[in-house]
Amino acid sequence: MDGVVSYQRFPKIKIREVKDDYLKFELRETDASMANALRRVMISEVPTIAIDLVEIEVNSSVLNDEFIAHRLGLIPLTSDRAMSMRFSRDCDACDGDGQCEYCSVEFQLSVRCDQDQTLDVTSQDLISLDPSVVPVDVAARSSSTGFDATENRGIIIVKLRRGQELRLRAIARKGIGKDHAKWSPAATVTFMYEPDIHINEDMMESLSLEDKRNWIESSPTKVFDIDPSTHQVVVVDPEAYTYDDEVIKKAEAMGKPGLVEIYAKETDFIFTVESTGAIKSSQLVLNAIQVLKQKLDAVRLTEDTEEADEQFGELGAHMRGG
Amino acid sequence: MNAPDRYERFVVPEGTKKVSYERDTKIINAASFTIEREDHTIGNILRMQLHRDPHVLFAGYKLPHPLQYKIIIRIHTTSQSSPMQAYNQAITDLDKELNHLKDVFEAELSKHSREF
Repeated sequence: MDGVVSYQRFPKIKIREVKDDYLKFELRETDASMANALRRVMISEVPTIAIDLVEIEVNSSVLNDEFIAHRLGLIPLTSDRAMSMRFSRDCDACDGDGQCEYCSVEFQLSVRCDQDQTLDVTSQDLISLDPSVVPVDVAARSSSTGFDATENRGIIIVKLRRGQELRLRAIARKGIGKDHAKWSPAATVTFMYEPDIHINEDMMESLSLEDKRNWIESSPTKVFDIDPSTHQVVVVDPEAYTYDDEVIKKAEAMGKPGLVEIYAKETDFIFTVESTGAIKSSQLVLNAIQVLKQKLDAVRLTEDTEEADEQFGELGAHMRGG
Repeated sequence: MNAPDRYERFVVPEGTKKVSYERDTKIINAASFTIEREDHTIGNILRMQLHRDPHVLFAGYKLPHPLQYKIIIRIHTTSQSSPMQAYNQAITDLDKELNHLKDVFEAELSKHSREF
């Protein structure tokens, strides 16, 4: 095999904004397949931890057992441990029954209403047996970084009135968004092509100031503006352009086709990543890269496949010869 | 009621090979790779990476059916290469690209955490 030749690319990254649950960055000098693979992996294949099994002991609330179990599953849990945890189906130490530290985390919830006011059962009533895996809003309250903890009253699971009770045991497991959306660490992940805007300056100068204003107004988003001193049209925010073609149609309607040319740079992307809080947005990107690498490793040809082909090759040559 | 289990989409059943290779019987240097339990994520990046290889005359992938959790990648190369060589090369190059991506992302991230 020829090891010297390589068709590898060397993409560039520039981070514009990082917060715990929000990230905006530029990805350059690669192609849409790589950008889309990263997006897909972030949404559906980066593992997190979520409640998967619920044993209800007492439920006299207005919601039925399944309804409550579903709601518990959707509560985001801090999942920094998820990458190093085992999937319970691959765990040899247990049968995924919650007795095993490698693949599961147990939660308990026990609330009873003994007052006339309705009582909210929230994510804060979930008692975790592992301090590293707790509901995201509870973690935000203790650390108060990035998330707004002032209005934080927990995620409501059910409301109880006098005499009603909810008591249960829940087991959280590692999983991926492909299995169920409750395991997806991403709230939204999007990317757009970076637009490349060329204004034909000579043609633009042939327009009156009034025409320039009209033309700028035709764009539904604020991409262009007029320089107050020189009265020239300038691009103020190329990324506000939504590829709507309105300015191009307007130029044609004004009898000035080719006034502006807008291309999508097919190698440059602007990514926006929002996390549910289960993992930090920056960690989400790093985990996605790691998961994608693992996926590629898994599709490498195994040696026995390659050997089988060599034999087949000889046999084929034999048959062709004979 | 008769929906397949959700894990069927990503757990390779026991006794099944993740990747199988089938040489084309009529055209030399052409072959299909069947990859179990993968989808557009892997199919599309491999295809695009294979297109960067000048020895690859044809590379394409298909997801035959949404309920058959596999993809088929077909590669046709010149006589200087072979489908298997091109396939291995594509995976190696993508792996290196991802390593590079991880390094530059981490470098950018440490730059940002120092600023604030």
